[in-house]
Amino acid sequence: MDGAAFDSPGCVRYPSKRMNPGLSQLSVLLLAASLTPSFADLTPAQLGQLPPPAASPVHFTKDIKPILEARCINCHGRGKNKGGFRMDSRETLLEGGDSGPAIVLGKSAESYLIELVMGFDPDSVMPQKGTKLTHEQVAALRGWIDQGAPWDAGVSFGKLEPINLLPRRPELPRRTSETTHPVDRFMEAYFAAQKIKWPKLVDDRVFARRVYLDVIGLLPPPEELQRFVADRGRDKRAQLVRRLLADQENYTLHWMTFWNDMLRNDYRGTGYIDGGRKPITQWLYAALENNLPYDRFVAELINPRPEAEGFTKGIVWRGVVNASQTPQMQAAQNISQIFMGVNLKCASCHDSFINDWTLADAYGLAGIYSDEPLEMVHCDKPTGTTAPLRFIYPQLGDIDPHAAKAERLEQLAQLITHRRDGRLTRTLVNRLWQKFFGRGLIEPVDEMEKPAWNVDLLDWLAEDFADRGYDVKKLIERLLTSRAYQLPAVPAEEQTRDDFVFRGPQVRRMSAEQFRDAIGELTGVWYAKPAPQIIHADGATNRFAVVRAALVPADELQVALGRPNREQVITVRASVATTLQALELTNGAELSHLLQNGAEKFLAARNGDSSHALAEALYQKALGRKPTAPEAHAAAEILGQPAQKAGVEDLMWALAMLPEFQLIY
Amino acid sequence: MKTFAAQSRRDFLKTASAATLSALAAGFPRAVFSDEVKKIKASADTVIVLWMGGGMAHTETFDPKRYTPFSKGMAPDSFLSTFPSIDTAVDHIKFSQGLEKTGQVMDRGTLIRTYTAGDLGFILHSRHQYQWHTGYAPPQTVAAPHIGAIIARTLGPLNPAVPAFINIGQRFDVGEGEELKAFTTAGFLGSEYGPFNIPFPDQAAETVRPPGGMTPGRFADRNQFYKRLLAASPLGEAGSDYQKESLLRSFDNAHRLLSSPAAKAFDLSLEPLESIRKYVPGYEPGRRFDAKQDRFGAKYEEQMVGRFGLGCLLARRLTEVGARFIEVSTEYIPFLNWDTHENGHTRVAAMKQQIDSPLSQLVLDLEARGLLNRTLIVLASEFSRDAMIEGKPDKRIKDQVEVPDRVEDPKHYGMHRHFTDAGSVLLFGGGMKRGYLHGLTAEERPCKTLSDRVIIEDLHASIFHAMGISPKLAYEIEKRPFYVTRDGEGKVIPELFG
Repeated sequence: MDGAAFDSPGCVRYPSKRMNPGLSQLSVLLLAASLTPSFADLTPAQLGQLPPPAASPVHFTKDIKPILEARCINCHGRGKNKGGFRMDSRETLLEGGDSGPAIVLGKSAESYLIELVMGFDPDSVMPQKGTKLTHEQVAALRGWIDQGAPWDAGVSFGKLEPINLLPRRPELPRRTSETTHPVDRFMEAYFAAQKIKWPKLVDDRVFARRVYLDVIGLLPPPEELQRFVADRGRDKRAQLVRRLLADQENYTLHWMTFWNDMLRNDYRGTGYIDGGRKPITQWLYAALENNLPYDRFVAELINPRPEAEGFTKGIVWRGVVNASQTPQMQAAQNISQIFMGVNLKCASCHDSFINDWTLADAYGLAGIYSDEPLEMVHCDKPTGTTAPLRFIYPQLGDIDPHAAKAERLEQLAQLITHRRDGRLTRTLVNRLWQKFFGRGLIEPVDEMEKPAWNVDLLDWLAEDFADRGYDVKKLIERLLTSRAYQLPAVPAEEQTRDDFVFRGPQVRRMSAEQFRDAIGELTGVWYAKPAPQIIHADGATNRFAVVRAALVPADELQVALGRPNREQVITVRASVATTLQALELTNGAELSHLLQNGAEKFLAARNGDSSHALAEALYQKALGRKPTAPEAHAAAEILGQPAQKAGVEDLMWALAMLPEFQLIY
Repeated sequence: MKTFAAQSRRDFLKTASAATLSALAAGFPRAVFSDEVKKIKASADTVIVLWMGGGMAHTETFDPKRYTPFSKGMAPDSFLSTFPSIDTAVDHIKFSQGLEKTGQVMDRGTLIRTYTAGDLGFILHSRHQYQWHTGYAPPQTVAAPHIGAIIARTLGPLNPAVPAFINIGQRFDVGEGEELKAFTTAGFLGSEYGPFNIPFPDQAAETVRPPGGMTPGRFADRNQFYKRLLAASPLGEAGSDYQKESLLRSFDNAHRLLSSPAAKAFDLSLEPLESIRKYVPGYEPGRRFDAKQDRFGAKYEEQMVGRFGLGCLLARRLTEVGARFIEVSTEYIPFLNWDTHENGHTRVAAMKQQIDSPLSQLVLDLEARGLLNRTLIVLASEFSRDAMIEGKPDKRIKDQVEVPDRVEDPKHYGMHRHFTDAGSVLLFGGGMKRGYLHGLTAEERPCKTLSDRVIIEDLHASIFHAMGISPKLAYEIEKRPFYVTRDGEGKVIPELFG
């Protein structure tokens, strides 16, 4: 068929990607039908099967919209146009698709749409998936078409305006005598609406343990904890937060894990064998050590110098790479997920069924990273077309398709880190909220197109973050100095439920690295040697007080406790305890060696101390408190009189297995 | 034994494998059920994969072609097999010399000769192994689960005191270790369903014993003591927090495993010597099989004859106590074992020696115990080898091994290139036909698939089918279905089933 003949407005959308010869012939007929009113396309028998059109006036919003929404829009609305056909509006409906007009106004029996939903031709039935439309639904559609297909003003099935995209600055609620902190001023209103009274804040010990683990990933050393508890200063909690944030080494080592998981950076892993992967450890370490402002952090990843290019180069295994996993597509997926909180994975292969992203969206972004025009491949089949180069949110700005790649990357970096991108900031705020409170303001954290449970709070924090120079440490300080963060921990939810109500931070589990480092503090035994060569800001190399878990490749203990292999982007680790973990902790060689060495060191350092004193010292190290009388009694019993090495090992082990040790509460 | 299995399943439901349930509750992926996932009657309760990592040449093992002995100066394309063929218990099925014992049990098995590996370009063994074990080619946007993890997740343990997915014989600190780790995992299904790794079968007992140097008495005391401290710990504020519950349940599960009678199955020293010797001829008690990788010594395979044998013996013992999925690997190490880039003839002779006794004995032992009917044994490799062709005849890929114009040195006598157009898979028990041959390959080079091509999706579909699992079963991850065979397209091969 020569499509050009039909290439007139309001008629056939052309060119068609996958023209079905049978259908195109039909469209000729249909076109003829629309020109020749007397032409009937259906056989008399088929006409006889048609449900009679609804006789009474059809109400679009009440009768038709629900049918379209439930059965048509998934493929013909919200940015999707299967078969070149969109039902975004009355106009696009009347335009028809690759196969011709969908409806003939006033003549439902001659409308292709009715033929399709009747399923006369088993090879082209609409909807393609699920059950056929009911008799009543077809009758309603017929009535609607016969009555001129009225469409209520304001109804659109076009692509939705994305939410959480542009900056929005809600007004900060008034302070009260109780709440001065901005987070709490929003929470005050929230709690009032939920009829929740502010619970009493946690005590100093619990607060310190929580904040140490959250900021630097370590347990508070007993003497620091004592000092903090004894401190009478009014502002001491905020001061502690600031002091921990200023501990560059430990802050950096703790947050390396978070970013390594997301940016897929590690010392060992798939792809390295062939040069199909490049580490960014030095860049990342320096960025965290210097608290690089987040807009620059992101820009340097998106438009990298060589030391950070590993992120967008992705992971390439030797051999042929599937089109949906080319380095360019990996970059598109990862940038979208990590920085913008959206999932392009499905759209890398076909228009997504789970969200509104299309193949063209994915290729538009991937193409920015490609030296050559990137042909779109639909489910492993080349389409022969390329997508216009653009960011997934064109609202944020354009990419010059004629610019060289280097320039395009610069444009992309600018666009994503521009002040008008309120998604970048919200996404990070939400990730940090999730880390500290156990559940995001938006959950899951990689679905940033959902509304937050406290929209104003999220929006305000995101603006505050940008206002203050994208300073991540200041953002952390903002969150951790709130009363909301200091509330008693609540039981973790088993599911991410939509009817979630915030009552306080959830109980969380230590990460593998936190656990291993905590064992380091308990036993005094750390790793021997860092895997990377880190050059610090002042030029020193590998200057570490101790070698923490983040500085070595995953060993069996860390793997068992959930350190991922970083073949995929991990934004949240699974926290459920598993049998294999428990086995590793119960009889694994790694932990067993640590405890043996630790017990030896411990006894050597405290030669002659009573079992009672030793037990108290271990309780302080592990749990930040003295043992209770029954605990002291039991501990002395296992240590033996005088304390035996085996007893120390076993007490260390038992303490480390307690939920009070392994959980963050 | 049958009543045992049934009882175990009930036990499993009763004790409700707490960790499994808590994993479900924690938002771990759920199964996506569609109309198409039909109830399937299982013909097997247990799967044992015997993994010939490195690329087992079909023409040197289960699909022998014309034999040409070595002669100095021979043309490199003048030989198809470097061993004569031998008879098996099935008239029309011949094996390569060195597999005599396995030949004698061929009447219990089904042989697929036309397994065709994927077209993944320039060969990386671990990538093909990834595809064999997950059904998907890496990289993937979500971590694809190993077939053992899928079975563990879908069916749970057969006996709650035995890990549902046991992986024997493979280390991960070897070449391509990171790539091996990438598929030896439960992936997005969650580590509850991940592998219980036993790299050295002769040390299996240690994996379920108290940690080094600890007496069982002290181990028990330590646990008692832990319970006392736990009871005394004032962390009551968090109430019945699920994090706490799942932690405690995981310890209960681990302890149940370590203290269960089933744990004895891991201890090979409890096996009578004459029985071990059927798996490892000439075995002497206390012999260790932990030789380090010795790539250039070329003696590695000889030293390791016996390690795979003990792995098979361990698999039998674990099957007896109710294992669900076991893999025993000859171990993949680049350029070792089946990965013959040179000296193919002599090295394959050693590999055959390594597998012939244990493979056949495993079949006989399971049969004698009445377990073969419900245990599916699958012997497979990521692809085959050929002396000349890299890849497929019509899809040649970049050569990795130089072939000389004339074979002067015996080290060039063998199958040194990676061939993906035909390979052998041997199946026993679990509802498969007995004495059945599936698929035909060419008698002359290229010894490619001529009929009844079998691809990984269909092989997996058949294994799943035997276990009562639909190839269209999917688990939801990031809101989309992830099918147990690629895109749910695996098709059961009905001819394989008896």
